[in-house]
Amino acid sequence: MSIELKNVDYVYDSGEPFEYFALRGISLHIDDGAFVGIVGRTGSGKSTLVEHLNGLLFSARGDVIVDDEIVSNERTVLAKVRRRVGIVFQYPEDQFFAETIFEEVAFGCRNYGFSKEQVDESVHKAMSTVGLDPERFLSLSPFQLSGGEQRRVAIASVIAMGQKYIILDEPTAGLDSGSKLAVLTELESLRQTANVTVILVSHNMDEVAEFCKQVVVLDGGTVAFQGSTDAFFSDADLVDRTGLELPQSYRLARALKECGSTLTVNECSTDRMLDSLRLCVSDLGGA
Amino acid sequence: MALSRSFVLGQHYPGTSVVHRSGALVKLVSTIALMIGVFVATKTAQYIPIAFFLVVGIGVSRIPLRFFARGLKPILFLIVLTVVVQIFFTPGTPVWQFWFVRVTREGLGLAGFILCRLVLLTLVSVLLTASTSPIELTDAVSDLLKPLSHIGVPSAEIALVMSIAMRFVPTILEETERIIRAQVSRGARIGEGSLVVRMKSFIPILIPLFVSSFRRADDLAVAMEARGFRVGSPRTRYHARHFQSFDAFILLGTAAALSGVILWRLFL
Repeated sequence: MSIELKNVDYVYDSGEPFEYFALRGISLHIDDGAFVGIVGRTGSGKSTLVEHLNGLLFSARGDVIVDDEIVSNERTVLAKVRRRVGIVFQYPEDQFFAETIFEEVAFGCRNYGFSKEQVDESVHKAMSTVGLDPERFLSLSPFQLSGGEQRRVAIASVIAMGQKYIILDEPTAGLDSGSKLAVLTELESLRQTANVTVILVSHNMDEVAEFCKQVVVLDGGTVAFQGSTDAFFSDADLVDRTGLELPQSYRLARALKECGSTLTVNECSTDRMLDSLRLCVSDLGGA
Repeated sequence: MALSRSFVLGQHYPGTSVVHRSGALVKLVSTIALMIGVFVATKTAQYIPIAFFLVVGIGVSRIPLRFFARGLKPILFLIVLTVVVQIFFTPGTPVWQFWFVRVTREGLGLAGFILCRLVLLTLVSVLLTASTSPIELTDAVSDLLKPLSHIGVPSAEIALVMSIAMRFVPTILEETERIIRAQVSRGARIGEGSLVVRMKSFIPILIPLFVSSFRRADDLAVAMEARGFRVGSPRTRYHARHFQSFDAFILLGTAAALSGVILWRLFL
């Protein structure tokens, strides 16, 4: 079971003066239980791609397959696909409408016909997953929270539905650095404990290097790279060609290599990079 | 996407034709004059001068015909309804009869007349809005209202309100689509079920929309004031436009079409 795209094209305003191919011949594969990053410069087709995965957009050509189900405009298929794939959009707190956080988070569960007990349980679980104390928050209005808390409530309102695939479009945009890290760590623990596949659309390469094992790189509506995150960031030319930046840790590793240093640092996260650097330096000092 | 596409009436089709480049005020005045002409006519044949002028305008504008066809779509129901009512309920000489259903010659004539009237009115306004950007159009309206400022009508403010409203129509439509996508992804079924359920299904769209519109209004007010906007101070225009030769052609053509209709009605 997995998400698979076969040769998908998508055209905006087909036949109009503004006609524009947003996606061209996209083929990709996302494994169950993976933490996958989707990256690419602005306008490379990330958001358009993501909207194909739960049937908000339909490909002009090619198939989008979610767990053996070809996504189509048919009602029963759409219901199945949306039941499996959840999307947290950019600035998801803009969708708030309910009087209390409980109602907000319960909205999706109710739409999918959860029983009263199931709704209660799912809401509490989702709130704990995003690190908000249910007892303290559930009766508040979602509009009176801080930005970071609002973002978490919005994420909780999607993960409460218990979907198998969760897609997040820039979930950390506009958050302070503490909240950024917390949100992503919560997602990683969700992936591990509930075997949820997490798909992260992001402009922040440090985030991607740290959390995503695999990465899909889009450029001009086509797939420029697909595979392990480490393999992508190790190819500095490709990173540059696709209009992206190297993560801090990879830049440091590269700079060290260029000046002929024998120091090796852990590249996948800035924290671990600093740890291994400290270790190396204290080794040097000791010698 | 789907939502913004259904709003053709009042949509701009960018281009570089003479019709696109001529002054918005000229086109607006011409449109109003043609509409008056349409209402002046009392017989179908009297529409000929206006139809001729319109066909030339559409041809010169190089806007595809299907764009105009889409503009007619929203009023299709109205057209069909009026035509049917005219055909079946006008008393006169019957040309066809079955049981109590009767079609009269007068009914057919009147139906054709009304059909032409509605189609002409729509096409004239579609040509105006298709060939003129909303911003140009609001500038034109403010020019048209300017004489009224002498009797205390705040024409500059009205124009500003209009241009802000126009400017934000696409933004708010986009915002609406964004919110719909988010709520649909949370399992919302919009516009399905019984009337009450359907009404309720709009709450998760309308409330976020209001919240974001108020926030947007606030931001816009701050941004405008930060750039020196003051209510009531005199305003200059970034795109100053001068009268050009094809503006004169449009005005002359309009005058010819309008007087054609009036003369036809009075003397033929």
